[in-house]
Order: sequence, then structure tokens, then C-alpha cells
Amino acid sequence: MVESTSNILETRGISKRFGEVQALYKVDFSVRKGEIHGLLGENGAGKSTLMNILYGLYKPDEGEIYMEGRKVHIHSPQDSLKLGIGMIHQMSTLVPEFTAVENIVLGTEESGSRVRLDFSSARKEILKLSEKFGLKFPPDVKVKELSAGTKQKIEIIRALYRKAKILILDEPTAYLVGDEFDQLLKSLKVLVENGVTVIFITHKIREVMQACHRASVLKGGRMQGTVEIDKTTKEELVSLMFTGQNIDVTDSALPNVVPEPVKRSEKPICVVKNLNTRPIVKDGIVLKDVSFEIYGGEIFGIAGISGNGQKELAEAIVNPSIIASGEVVINGNPISNLSTIDIFKMGVFYTPEDRVYEAILPTASIKKNLLLGHHRDEAFLEKMRTLRWNRIKGVSKELIRKFNVKTPHEELEIRKLSGGNIQKVVFARALMNPIDLLVTHNPTAGLDMSSVKFVFEQLLDLRKNGKAILYLNEDLDELMIVSDRIGVLHEGCLVAIFHRDEFDKNRIGALMIGG
Amino acid sequence: MENSISSARLKQLWFLIRPYVFALGLAFLFTGVMLGLLGFNVWEAFKTLVTTSFSSRFQIVETFKKFTPLVLTTFAFAIPFQIKFFNIGSTGQMIMGGTIATILGLGISSIKMPSALAIILILTAAALTGAFYSLIAGALKAYHNINPIVSTIMLNFVAIQFTNFVATTPPWQAPLTGHPMSKELPEWMLLPKIFSELHVGFLIALGMVAFVYFIMKKTVIGYEIESVGHNLRAAEVHGINIKKTTLVTFFLGGMLAGLAGGIEVLGVHGRLVEGFAVTSGAEYGTFGTLTALISGAEPLAVPAVAFLMSILLNGADSLQRSLMVPVELVFLTQALIVILVVTMRERFKK
Repeated sequence: MVESTSNILETRGISKRFGEVQALYKVDFSVRKGEIHGLLGENGAGKSTLMNILYGLYKPDEGEIYMEGRKVHIHSPQDSLKLGIGMIHQMSTLVPEFTAVENIVLGTEESGSRVRLDFSSARKEILKLSEKFGLKFPPDVKVKELSAGTKQKIEIIRALYRKAKILILDEPTAYLVGDEFDQLLKSLKVLVENGVTVIFITHKIREVMQACHRASVLKGGRMQGTVEIDKTTKEELVSLMFTGQNIDVTDSALPNVVPEPVKRSEKPICVVKNLNTRPIVKDGIVLKDVSFEIYGGEIFGIAGISGNGQKELAEAIVNPSIIASGEVVINGNPISNLSTIDIFKMGVFYTPEDRVYEAILPTASIKKNLLLGHHRDEAFLEKMRTLRWNRIKGVSKELIRKFNVKTPHEELEIRKLSGGNIQKVVFARALMNPIDLLVTHNPTAGLDMSSVKFVFEQLLDLRKNGKAILYLNEDLDELMIVSDRIGVLHEGCLVAIFHRDEFDKNRIGALMIGG
Repeated sequence: MENSISSARLKQLWFLIRPYVFALGLAFLFTGVMLGLLGFNVWEAFKTLVTTSFSSRFQIVETFKKFTPLVLTTFAFAIPFQIKFFNIGSTGQMIMGGTIATILGLGISSIKMPSALAIILILTAAALTGAFYSLIAGALKAYHNINPIVSTIMLNFVAIQFTNFVATTPPWQAPLTGHPMSKELPEWMLLPKIFSELHVGFLIALGMVAFVYFIMKKTVIGYEIESVGHNLRAAEVHGINIKKTTLVTFFLGGMLAGLAGGIEVLGVHGRLVEGFAVTSGAEYGTFGTLTALISGAEPLAVPAVAFLMSILLNGADSLQRSLMVPVELVFLTQALIVILVVTMRERFKK
């Protein structure tokens, strides 16, 4: 293999499937010795899966890995360490109660005496490495007292102390503040001058342009191409990241649906005015002064890279307790003081982003899953606040038939269904009662073509009947198929709203990454 | 046709009970070996263990008397366990219930009132005491995210000291005894007997079994508890108030434990006795936890398993008297059953 000689690391035809999701499909990827190689892609594009395969955490379904032209088998992180691959994870993996030196030595104890750790010589070596690569940190302070940037330096030195020749940095800038990014860049330059190879995983195009020599772009588990940073433009990277040919993760193309013209309502069904939220998770993102309205007969799409406030926006509408200021009005009624159940009763329903962890009770029956969120509907309650299980059973049977859920009966545990059928149950629940507003977040994630089509048909059906839909999806291609308007969320701000006739993948894509 | 259906049913049933059969079999096998090695007659020992409870009217009543508090402390653990929280505090909740029952009983003993009214008052007070005592742990979990394992165990110690204080301090202390205990409650305040020595507390316990079943299977709040247990995040997203649900489970659990305390005082001892929440050398609270774990905290399985445990407990007492087998050996069997049931359930999971 002549061409592999300059490549220190190479993968050929790597595929990996998780259940129904094809996370990687025949990925060829190569890294040259002594370069900083960016691996670019949206969340869920397969970056982490590919790196975890190189690091020995996952086993590929097919494909081969070559190091310095030689075929290797990596079954565990130990194998990959032995080959000289070091991984710097997004979240610190250091022991908070240990000092930097203790953390670095941890796991390498067998090299010294069996009983006593030889800290002093290890310490000397660590300080030498730290000096050489310009990665300075206090060696004897407990790690928990150090900043994220310093912890990252320690992790890099730990990898180098274990003789890593290739460093994989997974989203290394996610927790950096101030000038820590510039410091990291400087250190990486020194590293590659000393013959270390760096793989830099990120979804930020700006960082790739600043830091890398070359970059490869993954989308939907497929390699879109590798470019020399000197010879490329931001626009080219944007188009590789967001407008590749393969928009869903299966082999098929998107369903061919065309929304028919619908007259939108005079008055908006949902008005969001100067909405600011509290973070849902600690130190999480917040919405800043978001305003828009959705009319009846309209699908309002929200584009954005995951984690830019989509979840916060969806939740603010069904769970106003996270609203810090501003207003959400449904059919003329402000909802700020209402509970989720009250809002559901007003004709709003929500299908959350994560099907398994947020949308369903995996170990409960289909029937009990259909009831969730409707469990305080008057129709299902006797006078004594007891549930009318017979009626619930009847409604379940009816919904299973109407939405064509493939199941023997309504008592089956829902987790035994396929993803597409689970999504049918989730939509059956959302559409059980007539609703005016559907908030739906990534409803097509991981679904095959026919299920994606099912979801689109449901959305278009609602639209035809004059209902409003807030449709959040990270996949721009899918959004553009059915949306009447698309708003772009970036770092909690709604930075632009496009009408259907202004849809432009490149412009929207650039706004999604803050360009 | 008919046959094939019933054989499919049988197969289904077998899959359901298979882990329990294996667990019980292995536990008894191991206990048998231990008994044999210690030089006891294994056959006689097992026969005593299992058949004692049915050997006489007295023994049947004894078994039911153990069942009464046990099924309540089992639910005290099982209900919060529906949403994956560990209420290890049923011991504390039970003895707080019994202690407050005693204080109230002695306090109103001079007032003339119908005995039924006094009993209802005292048992309600005991149940509410347990409920609010448990609610401390529930509120610490709901509002400050403090692990209930920690808080309930700590609260047990507080409860034990409080009981000791009441049992050794006038005006409640019985003057002429060596063991810490209170004065006797008047006869008319005690639970009436329904059959031989079996008091009406047994019927109350059965009523509570029906009550829990009703709450869990028929009401909205039961559905909410179950949903939070299946997936807290999904329940929350769909409008179920997690804090409220947490508080409700601890309230219900503590209420049943407190009621158990009141029933023991009014039905068995007639006064507060230090250690009244103990049977065959172990606390009802602890046994309830074990029983709940074996039963998988399923409302219908709880009474069945609690009854089997009562048979074993009663058998163990008899074993100690007749064959001098230390009662600890039965605890060993019970601990083995718990560990094996949990292991086998995982093992046979498809």
C-alpha cells in the first residue's frame, strides 16, 4: 500500500449500526503524520462513534483500521493505548481528589515497583513533558480545584506520558473560556512540531479553520470528503456539512412529499414574545428574547445545531415554569401560570426529542403509554378520580388501528416495538384529542423512510386542518421539505426567520453555526 | 385446541414463577446443607419450619399476627420503591406511630368515650405520625435531593431514642419494671379479638392491602406513581409533578408503617414496650424491606409473599424452641432468598 506510508492512521470501509440506526456507513478516513486533522460534523453525524471505534470502545461491524500501513485490531482502550492512540474526552476523566501527578501516574503503576509507587521519578518526567510542550499546570494541587482548560492540559500530558503518538480531542473547546482556546492552539502547534498527530473533533467550522491543516466532514454517518484548509472556504465546509446527498441515515432518500397550498389563519394560534428562559440543566443554555408567532395552517420550522436552545424553546411552551420573562400566548390565553396538564387540555401537545428517554415509558404497556399526558382528561376519569380503564383500553385499540401500529395487542410493553412503531404511538398520543398546536422535536430521528413519511403526513394533515405546528429538527433538509417558515436558533437567539420562497441551505446553514 | 391454549398459559406461568422456584430451591438446599453440617435433622427442621404455622389454632393465629404488621411495613417500602426510592425508615415510622399511639392513648384514658372511637382516633394518629415522619425524608428528597436511604436510616435512630425516652420517663413510664416500657393502656382501648387471640388489626391490614391495590391500580395518582417509576423524565415531560409524587409515596408508605406501630401497641402489647417493633429477633421494618424486594413491590404479590414470610418467621420461632436451631439460620435462608430471587430475576430476563 504505497499511499498509506504518509498516513499514520487510516480506516477503510468502517460501518457501525446501533439497532435501527446506521451510525457509520463505509467510512474511509485517513490522517497524515504530524498534522492537525479536523473531524467536522453535526451532532449525530458519527464523529464520536468513529473515534470510539479507533479508541477501542466500540467494535465496527465491518471495515479495517491501518496504522502506519499495518492492519491493526483494536478491541479495547488498552489496545489503542498500546498502539499509541490517546483520547481526550469532552468531559474530564480525571479523578477530582487526586493531584495532576497522581492522575497521570494512575494506571501505569506496574512500570515501577510492585508495592511502592515511584512518584519522584514519574514527577520529574511529567514536569519535563509539561515543559517541553508548553502545557503548564500545578502538579501537586487537587484536580478539582483547577479550571477546565488546565484539566485538559493534564489529560494531554497523561496521554503523552503513555507514549501517545496520536491524540484524539473530542470537542476540546466545549468547556474552555477566555483565552484558553488560543493557549490550546499554541500547544497543539508545539505537539505537531514534535511529531505528534492530532485529530480535532468539533462541530464548529471556525475552530477547524483556525486550528487544522486538513479536515474531514461526516454527515449522517457518511464521509463527505476531506479538504486542505488552505485551499478551502468556510462556505465549502458549510455545504459539505449541511447539504450532502444523503440526508437520512438509511440507504433511501427522503420521502417525496409536497405540501399543498393552505390558507393560513387570520390570527396566530401561538404567540411567543420576548421569551427568556432559565436553563433546564445546570449551566445550560437559555433562550434570549425569542419572539415569533405561528398561524393556523402553518408549519413553523426551527433550525439549529443541537444544544442551541431547541429543547428550551419546546419545553417553555409546555412547561412554563422554565420561563424567566416574556410571554407565550396560546389562542389568546397567556400560559405562564399554567401547568403542563392545563396546557395539554388547552389543545397543545408535545412530542419530545428523545424517543426512549423522554417520550415513552419503555417498560409499560402501549395502553399506559397512550394515557400519559391524558391521564387527567375528564373523559378518562370517574367521579372519584379513578381511571376508566375500560374506556382507555377501547381508545387504545382504536388508536392502534387508526395509526396502524404493528402490535398484537395494546398490553404489549412498548419497548418491544420498532422505532417507527414507537413513534406512531407517540403521535397517536399527541393526536388523540383535537389539538391546535403540536410541538414536535426531531420526530424523524433514526427512522426509516416509511416512518419518516408517516411523520410528514401527520404534520401536513394537521396543517391542512388549520392547526399550528412548531417543528424543531436539526436536519435542515427535512425541515425544508415541510416547513412554511424556518427560524434559525443560534446560542439561544432566534437569529433569522425565512419564508418558504427564501429557503437557502447555505445561508441557513451559515446562520446555524453563527456565521 | 383447548389443550394448546392451556399449555401456552402454563408455559407463561412457568416463565413468571421460574426465578422464584429456582431461588427458593437453592436457598433451601443451602440451608439444608448448613443444618446438616451443624448436626441437625434436616428433614425434621424443614418440616417444623413449614408446617408449624398450620399445626394448631394457636399457630395459625400467631402467623396472622406476624402477617399483620409485616404486610404493612412491606408496603411501606414497596410504595416509594415504585419510583425507585428506598424507604429504609419503616422501622422508625412504625415505632413513632406506636409511641404516639401510646402517648395519645394514655392521655385520653380518663376521658369517657366509646371504645371504637378511641381506637379509631389512636390508629389514625399513629398512621398520620408515620406518614409525616416519613414525609421528612420525602421532602428532603423532593426539595433538596437528599438520598432517602441516608435520611430514613438517620430518622430511625431518632425514633428509637424518642421511644426510649417515652418508655423511661414519667408520666408514661411504667414504675415497677426493669425493661423500658410505658404504663398499660386501659383494656377498653385495646383492639377487640375476632378469633381466639387474633385481633381486629388483621382485618385492618387486609383492608389496607385492598386500599393500596385500589390506589395503585385504579386511581390517577397510582398511575402517576407507576409512570414515574417507569421513566421519571417522560413522566415529567408529560405533566406529572415529580415532587408531589415523591411526597405522596413517602406519605402513603409512612402511613402504613405508622399504622403497623399503632396496631402492635393496641393489639399485641397493650402498652409501649421498647423493642415492640421486633419479631423473632429482627425488626418488622427490615423484614418488610426484604419481603418487598422478594415480591418485586407488586401490590398483588406483596400480601402473598408477606404471608409466606410470616410462615417462615413463625416456623423459625418454633424451630428454636423445639430443635434448638438458632433462629439466625432462618434469617440466613431469608437473606439467601432475597439475593437469589433478585439474581434469578435478572438471570431469566429475556
